[in-house]
Amino acid sequence: MAETNSTPIISLKNISKTFPGVRALDDVTIKVMRGNVHGIVGENGAGKSTLMKILSGVYTKDSGTVEFDGEIVEQTTPIQSINRGLSIIYQEFNLVNSMSVGENIFLGRFKEMHGMKGIHAKARELLDSIGCKINTYTMVADLSVSQKQMVEIAKALSYNSKLIIMDEPSSSLTSDELKKLYEIIGYLKNKGISIIYISHKLNEIFDLCDMVTVMRDGHVIDTKPITEMTHEEMITKMVGRSIEKEYPERPRCVGETLLEVRNLNTRKLHDINFKVNRGEILGFVGLVGAGRTEIIRAIYGADKVKGHELFIEGQHKKIKNPIDAISAGIALIPEDRKLQGLILSQSVKTNIVMAIQKKHTKFGFLNKSSEKAIAEKQVASLLIKTPSIKTRVVSLSGGNQQKCVVGRWLETQSKILIMDEPTRGIDVGAKYEIYMLMKEIVEKGASIILISSELPEVLNMSNRVLAICEGRISGEFNPETTSVNAIMEKVLG
Amino acid sequence: MMQMIEKTKLQKNAGRVLSFIKNYLVLVSIVSLVMITIIVEPKFLTQPNLINIIRQFGPLAFFSLGMTFVIICGFIDLSIPGIISLVVIVTYSLIEPLGQYAAIAAGILVGIIAGYINSRLIISCGALTNAEALFITFGMSTVYGAIALIIAAGKTGHLSWIEKDTSAFSFIAQGGFGDFLSFSFLLFILCLVILYIFQSKTFLGNTIFLTGGNKTAARLSGINTFKSIQTVFIISGLMSAIGAVVLLSRITTASPVVGRNYDTNAILAVVVGGTRLTGGQGSVLRTVLGVLLITLMSNCLDLLGVSPFMQTMLRGLILVIVIWIDYRNQGGKQ
Repeated sequence: MAETNSTPIISLKNISKTFPGVRALDDVTIKVMRGNVHGIVGENGAGKSTLMKILSGVYTKDSGTVEFDGEIVEQTTPIQSINRGLSIIYQEFNLVNSMSVGENIFLGRFKEMHGMKGIHAKARELLDSIGCKINTYTMVADLSVSQKQMVEIAKALSYNSKLIIMDEPSSSLTSDELKKLYEIIGYLKNKGISIIYISHKLNEIFDLCDMVTVMRDGHVIDTKPITEMTHEEMITKMVGRSIEKEYPERPRCVGETLLEVRNLNTRKLHDINFKVNRGEILGFVGLVGAGRTEIIRAIYGADKVKGHELFIEGQHKKIKNPIDAISAGIALIPEDRKLQGLILSQSVKTNIVMAIQKKHTKFGFLNKSSEKAIAEKQVASLLIKTPSIKTRVVSLSGGNQQKCVVGRWLETQSKILIMDEPTRGIDVGAKYEIYMLMKEIVEKGASIILISSELPEVLNMSNRVLAICEGRISGEFNPETTSVNAIMEKVLG
Repeated sequence: MMQMIEKTKLQKNAGRVLSFIKNYLVLVSIVSLVMITIIVEPKFLTQPNLINIIRQFGPLAFFSLGMTFVIICGFIDLSIPGIISLVVIVTYSLIEPLGQYAAIAAGILVGIIAGYINSRLIISCGALTNAEALFITFGMSTVYGAIALIIAAGKTGHLSWIEKDTSAFSFIAQGGFGDFLSFSFLLFILCLVILYIFQSKTFLGNTIFLTGGNKTAARLSGINTFKSIQTVFIISGLMSAIGAVVLLSRITTASPVVGRNYDTNAILAVVVGGTRLTGGQGSVLRTVLGVLLITLMSNCLDLLGVSPFMQTMLRGLILVIVIWIDYRNQGGKQ
């Protein structure tokens, strides 16, 4: 560990920002010391992203002062901030998929680097400095999420950044990739670079950070050295109330076989055979890219796959597209809520009723009153926080958006609910509600296939776990009796 | 302190006025343009001029109605010029052998088939992004236009039927109740009502919005997105054909290049009306406003003596400005 200086790299004083109708930041004061990893935690809507966008120059602050590296920064633009030494790595990366790693790192600076040769040489050097072995000539499109993140970090280094802000850096990393990220953050610290680490995952905050700031509703609730903070204290401060447990009690209502998949083979998947029982939560664990999502997309008919056989309640079913899947009683909550799950420009009502709309039509005409009743029922029973069912779903928080997707499928009375990363980017309180919902669903006799990159989530919720590695099922476990290490061994192959 | 409060009040009021103008940009522009014209050129309010406006309103309104659904679905149909020319030529050339009613029916059928071919090509090429579909329709426009040229052998024909008492074409162009309620105007209202009901009350109409809003999410929720795509292009073909017949009746000549520029004008009318180019949002009613604005604008500018070249430039600029404002509004929200 490098010695931490006592002067702050960045110091925010009394920052406020108001959007029409919302006070996004209220009198926020945060100091980040040089060479520190400073965690910022808070539920969605706590103001973390707004704060970062003010720092990078995407938004302008209403009042308050920002002092970066000893200089007062009045107004800034994203490019000025980067040149000043402040880089932000967003959850959605700013990379050009069709260009190579080296080109991406030095995007827009080809001349200064004396052309391609210079770029790749310097990129190699930067990647080596963080212990990363990606070939600089690889296309970014061919990289995994974790590798893309490393490219972003190398890019930040290339600007001689003094402060790197990471926004939810671990949200789609597997635990192995996360270890790698920890290592890199260690390197950066050694170089004296400060890091602001924004995350929902409290364990990471405890593992990585020196200091932590808890935010809620646009206020800073507390800033403390991590050693003086406990897990419970942090959660209580984040949500403003105490949450007893992170997970509800595991449901126990496993019955006879409901779904059976035989001989699923594609270019990426090999000999996938498995069964799902009634009332069971079946967990899939595996690295990103191991084929978990491909398996469920094939079952659901989202990708064209031939040759496999599907039996639901013993009956052979042919599923060629999502429409077949839905009528066979399968529902999918896709991994990317915004791109695959929701129609953001449409209302809460439309998003809830879209899968059953057709059933309620008469001679092709919509039945608006029953649609309204269904949407209102789901909003009430799932406690979706929305001003009205006519509100556009884009303005809801992540947890409430996810509940709209869940509500859509509850209404179809599906027998098998596939949930791909159901709690990604959702805050602690809403996560618990989603877990409770899952419990309720299986207790009513449906089954759930749960895919998640958060191992604790799978292990705490599932009745049975399948490890997926390089397109094969590499192991089957009872999560209550198997150690995490044994499972990880199979996941890594 | 007082000053601050007043300042925020002022800002609030100014904000309200601004957001009103933003939301009702089309209405505000129409009203202000008409006011200016009435003051500068009182001729605007005379009966012949008003009749003229309703007449000019004709064909473009039909094309724009069809285009609205294509844009709501997230695509753009550039094949309209080709379809219009083809329908005009097919209808014209079939009058002699088949009679006028069969010719009109055949013309409309050609429009529907052309729209169907567009949609099949887009679906089977897997061209589900806007850019690919755009170029498929662009290519097909050239094909349809060329077929029109081949059938017509490059010549422009004159519609001789128009002089007969029993001519359906002269009825379409001039028939109806009085000067204002012309047949083509009533036909337009009929189309509008049907399409409005389709858009807001039917399941299929609703799936067009879902498909335009997010194709992936719609498909994964069991919406038959191919059917929506097929529907919008067929509607566009049908409306182009109906508009083409109205156009033929009015200008009484059948030129194989008559459809030129109607695609950009239709897009302009739809977008000026407030239907979003990003798809998923919009309405045929808004398009009517858009068409009205464009028609009124060219009428007013004619009366004010602005040259047609200048008008073309203005139309282009307005399209850009509307898209820019739309983008700004969106950017503010995200």
